[in-house]
Amino acid sequence: MKTLFQTKLATPLIALLLIAGSAVATRAQDSRLQLNGLDHLTAKASQSVDVNIDEKLIRIALKVFSDNDPEEREVKKVVAGIKGIYVKRFEFETDGQYTAADMETIRTQLRGPGWTRLVNVRSQKEGNLEVYLLMNGETVGGLTVLSSDLRELTVVNIVGPVDLDKLAKLEGQFGIPELDIAPAKPKSKNDEK
Amino acid sequence: MSYVKSSAALALVLLLASHVVHAKGDDFNSVVKMIEQFYGVKHVGIPFLAKAGMKVARTAARIKGGEAKRIAEAGSIKLAVFENQDFNGEFTKFRSTLNAALNQTWSPLVQTLSATDGEQVYIFMREAGEKFNVLVITIAQRDATVVQVTLSPKNLALLMKDPEGTGKAITEEATIIDQE
Repeated sequence: MKTLFQTKLATPLIALLLIAGSAVATRAQDSRLQLNGLDHLTAKASQSVDVNIDEKLIRIALKVFSDNDPEEREVKKVVAGIKGIYVKRFEFETDGQYTAADMETIRTQLRGPGWTRLVNVRSQKEGNLEVYLLMNGETVGGLTVLSSDLRELTVVNIVGPVDLDKLAKLEGQFGIPELDIAPAKPKSKNDEK
Repeated sequence: MSYVKSSAALALVLLLASHVVHAKGDDFNSVVKMIEQFYGVKHVGIPFLAKAGMKVARTAARIKGGEAKRIAEAGSIKLAVFENQDFNGEFTKFRSTLNAALNQTWSPLVQTLSATDGEQVYIFMREAGEKFNVLVITIAQRDATVVQVTLSPKNLALLMKDPEGTGKAITEEATIIDQE
């Protein structure tokens, strides 16, 4: 004979567990990071920049960027498939305005399933650079760059299929700062003038 | 009696609903009012002739790439200026309030804040048929401007490529036109 638990509660409980499980699995593969743990630094920063290019804005970018302009055509190729670009950058007038705990709010998320650290450069002179890639099976699900020195902290979080070459092409576009993590880009005609 | 009460309640609900729809439809004025309430300031009225001048005035703004051209669509500029008033601190609270008010209809593109200089720049955008509305809010320690313009897809591409530079150029363009 079935108990009350087995007949009345077991089915909804199992359904609930399945829903919760799939939600966790979905979250594990989502490369969008929560960056608002750094928001309190805004009050200390000599300058803070917050860039939010969500999927809707990416779709608009694909629509408004021209195929006739070589630079825009290239950016269109790069952002096709990307679901979001999020940047937080803080510049400070004095050293030590952000702490290891602030960095941990980001690194903790990057220890989640699928994330791999590709680059980890530590330099007293040049600052620190970490690049993380999220793999969803065989495909790249996202990329995060953590760049920091004594007076600067930058987080770039790109959601969707992207690699370092693509990121290099996005530097200087959409408010993404120049991070110098890829080989130098060839000089454009404008630069030479 | 109960009929009167329920009719009055219904009328009140309809009135409030129409107010909410109106507020959504005119976010420029809502933002101006929000700044006035938050900082206890008043914007400067723009003379009628200056408004008319905006529609025909030609101006140039230097944007990324060095090319000088007009950015906003003719006649699309809405401008509110706050002069020589105090915009003291609390900008993280102001940013939260602003984002909460606009996030239903506008996408926040770039937000730049400077605690040391007391400067805040917010750039929002939304689709408007084939074109795009852009809202640029610039707040300094003593002055502020709220500018809403309509951009062509081509100029929106410029904004997306260089949000800070083009946002600044939009504000400059609006204020230059205002002075002409």
